[in-house]
Amino acid sequence: MRYRALAALGAALTLGFGVATASTAAAAGNTLTVWLQVDAQNGWPNLVAAANNAFTANHPGWTVNVDYQQWSDHLTKFDATIAGNDTPDVIEMGNTEMTKYMAEGAFANLAQYKSEFANHSSWLQGLTESATYNKTLFGVPYYAGSRVITYRSDLFAKAHIKKLPNSLAAFEADMLKIGAMEKKNKGFSPLYVGGEDWYTALSFVFDYGGQIASYEHGHWVGELDSKKSLQGLTAFQTFFNDTQSKSTAKLDGTSPFPYTVFSQGKTAANYGPAWYTCCTTAKGGPNYTKVTKQFVMPSHTKGEAMPGFLGGSDLAIPAQSSQQSAAAAWIADFTNTQSEQGLQAKGNIPNATNLLSNSVNDKAAARSWFVPQAKNWVNVENGNILKTMLGQMLSGQLTVKQAATLASDNIAQTLNSPS
Amino acid sequence: MTTKRSRRVGWNIVGLALFVVIAFPTYWMISTAFKPDNKIYGFTPTFFPTHPTLQHFSDAISRPYFWTDVKNSLIVVLSTVVIALFLSFFAAVALAKYRFTGRKLFIVLVIGIQMLPQTGLIIPIYVVLGRYHLVNTLFGLILVYLTFSLPFCVWTLRGFMIGIPKELEEAAMVDGSTRVGAFVRILLPLVAPGLVATSVFAFITSWNEFIFANTIMSGGTKQTITVWLSLFTGGARAVDWGALMAASTLISIPVVIFFLFVQRRIAFGLTAGAVRG
Amino acid sequence: MGHVATPYLLLVPTIIAIVALLGYPIVNLVELSFQQYGLGQLITHHGVYIGLANYSSILSDPLFWNTLWRTLVFTAANVGLTMVLGMLIALLLVRVSTWVRLLLTGALVLAWSMPPVVAVQVWNWMTNLQNGVLNYTLTQLGIGNYFQHNWYASTASQYAMVTSLIVWGGLPFVVITVYASLSQVPHELVEAAQIDGARAWRILKDVTLPVVKPILLILTSLSIIWDFGVFTQPYLLIGPGQQSPDNYLMSTYLYIEGYAQTDYGKGAAISILMLAIVAVLSIFYVRAMLRTGDE
Repeated sequence: MRYRALAALGAALTLGFGVATASTAAAAGNTLTVWLQVDAQNGWPNLVAAANNAFTANHPGWTVNVDYQQWSDHLTKFDATIAGNDTPDVIEMGNTEMTKYMAEGAFANLAQYKSEFANHSSWLQGLTESATYNKTLFGVPYYAGSRVITYRSDLFAKAHIKKLPNSLAAFEADMLKIGAMEKKNKGFSPLYVGGEDWYTALSFVFDYGGQIASYEHGHWVGELDSKKSLQGLTAFQTFFNDTQSKSTAKLDGTSPFPYTVFSQGKTAANYGPAWYTCCTTAKGGPNYTKVTKQFVMPSHTKGEAMPGFLGGSDLAIPAQSSQQSAAAAWIADFTNTQSEQGLQAKGNIPNATNLLSNSVNDKAAARSWFVPQAKNWVNVENGNILKTMLGQMLSGQLTVKQAATLASDNIAQTLNSPS
Repeated sequence: MTTKRSRRVGWNIVGLALFVVIAFPTYWMISTAFKPDNKIYGFTPTFFPTHPTLQHFSDAISRPYFWTDVKNSLIVVLSTVVIALFLSFFAAVALAKYRFTGRKLFIVLVIGIQMLPQTGLIIPIYVVLGRYHLVNTLFGLILVYLTFSLPFCVWTLRGFMIGIPKELEEAAMVDGSTRVGAFVRILLPLVAPGLVATSVFAFITSWNEFIFANTIMSGGTKQTITVWLSLFTGGARAVDWGALMAASTLISIPVVIFFLFVQRRIAFGLTAGAVRG
Repeated sequence: MGHVATPYLLLVPTIIAIVALLGYPIVNLVELSFQQYGLGQLITHHGVYIGLANYSSILSDPLFWNTLWRTLVFTAANVGLTMVLGMLIALLLVRVSTWVRLLLTGALVLAWSMPPVVAVQVWNWMTNLQNGVLNYTLTQLGIGNYFQHNWYASTASQYAMVTSLIVWGGLPFVVITVYASLSQVPHELVEAAQIDGARAWRILKDVTLPVVKPILLILTSLSIIWDFGVFTQPYLLIGPGQQSPDNYLMSTYLYIEGYAQTDYGKGAAISILMLAIVAVLSIFYVRAMLRTGDE
């Protein structure tokens, strides 16, 4: 008997405790839940705070909860919230991640709110396309990024490179010069890029007129094994072998980051987003700030720019949200002109053409490429198909043609699969 | 005696070599946490921090939500341990001391749960918690951790109880207590080592867990310390290895303390339970 | 009064806790495995029944069998190394001086207390391409030129790293438990055998092992269950960006092909298959444990 009382007491305590901790989660008043990537937390928290303040000033009694997410798993978490009927009200999506979710109706139609968003009539075309499906607007362009060469002007000067290269061939020649000059520097590579950094590798493919996949007769066809694409991939392989040590063949550029190698004095150039300049002088290392400069990567065609991957993010409102107009208001506050200029100051490309400046970064956005607008593109990325192809081809496991054919088939299969 | 002595010296040398290898990762983590940046990123690693600094520790602690998340982890973990001890004690009594239909079935259930691939259950569990309005709540997470720790705890405690001789129970019942009352009074002190083993397991499982904490808690103020740690490597900017190692050291401390406390008890506990079990 | 009901009542709180949380998910998992459930279905909360199609497509995919094989080899290697090394170190602990024993036990406890997510980061740092101490030490010791060696360049190398991490984390539990169990070996028997001139191996086999056997059974079966389904270490150490059909384990295969590709029906089917496989793998040990539990 005494035990039963004990058990009952225990159960009651547990239940009570549970209710107590659960109910503290229920907020009083209205709450807006926003999911941004951790880049915002690290890079421009002041802009987030400004948007929150502007929003709450116009919406008294509301609180804004910003939860920071990581690129590697934010979609899985988002899916869980969809299943559990408690999606956030605003979510930052990478521009390559949008199509799949738009196709399935995960986001709210933003047509009625479009006029609220600053500079909406001159949004960057690349980003607007990524946020549009079947002629319906499902997202608001947040910011973009293109790719430029960040280089050490002192090393270029030391190698007597007077003019910046205006063709890929000239650039490779310059790299070889610097490589020879720095032969004694152990672990030095004239340009540092991870072999599996497909954002870089595929720029070459698009430069030669190739592409990743095309939509024909109602289904996707892989194009990485087409003649032009193979030319581009081979050009990349040559470029890689001229400028890298073999060990980077299987790295994808996130470990180590190219700017980390730059900051250690082990490379003269990086190809990457313009904000790399933030970190080219590392803690405790030599100061390269004065000699870090940028130029647009040249194409194999003289005088032209190599197409750069137009990365970027959009902000979307999940269809399940019951606070869509408030969400739209917050997005309007976060993407207004002042906020966008703040993003630009941090090395990003703002979301509208009327805000573009003459910087190297903004100029590089002129010639760009983007991934196939396919529902399942995100599965190609998650399945690391492109990275695997590059790793195989650069490490000598497979020939360029073999690796490309394999990847091409894989991509077609993934893009065409019915889920 | 000299051969025995030299044998012992021989074994000692082997033991010391093993000590160096096994302790090295822990040493490397702590020493990196104290090294200044230029020593961390230099091309030649330094084996001993000659100019230790506390900068990384203060960097780590000043990252958003550190103390909040420590608090969350402590609440979740301690609650899980206490509730698991309570529930598994009674369940173990039932399994060990009573014969009833469905006993074998329950045992199979207990073992079977440990075989479930947890990754496959992430979304269904999230949906269930959603139905109870427990998503993004500490209690929801406690419930998840309980479910995954209970089977092992019940099984371990049962092993202990089986070994207790019947005479003790019978003696207690003669005094007028019911069978269950006898269990509580007699068994509880005797299975203390088992309770210790159980609590350790529940503690480790919950403190270290990442997958569910990451999905169920949406971020910031509600997340646990293991999720907080993963944010050091989540962004697109470079990893601050010094701060990461400092943070890692800090996160390991509660577990070390807990362990040093109970280590001897666990080993004895687990073995005794198992041998009899 | 309530005599027959008592055991059930004692079990009720535990059963409620487990069923409340796992009841629906397990049923749901089985249901899902027979459905087509992608992102669209997730949004509308309605799946499409397709019978055994998920299972047949998985079982006819060579990727499944390759991954299963790799996981079996991986499990065998990890369990084998952990158990054998654990046993050896436990035997060593008996033979060393007290101060060495304390040091070694201390090192093991520290290893045991490091959370896996932390240990992954430490391993990452030690095996770092540029600044890793492993590359530096190996080169300095003259074992070879490991300058900027990428330890994650091949599947075999990746798994060597993951195995070292998991074995390092799993050893303490085995060593400490076996060591405690060794203390139950009757000294008199060991001494008698030694006086009789029996060799160490013989003593181990005939005197020590029988006493330690139950604990070895439990440890091995637990290790099999844990190592077969381990996810955090391979996923984080090899890296989310490096997961590919070349290096899947069953757990990462499930996560990527089921979750990351939002094919939940397929993910559920893989989960059920994994459950069945690990049940088969551990059945021998579980039976033995069940038998010892019956009086």
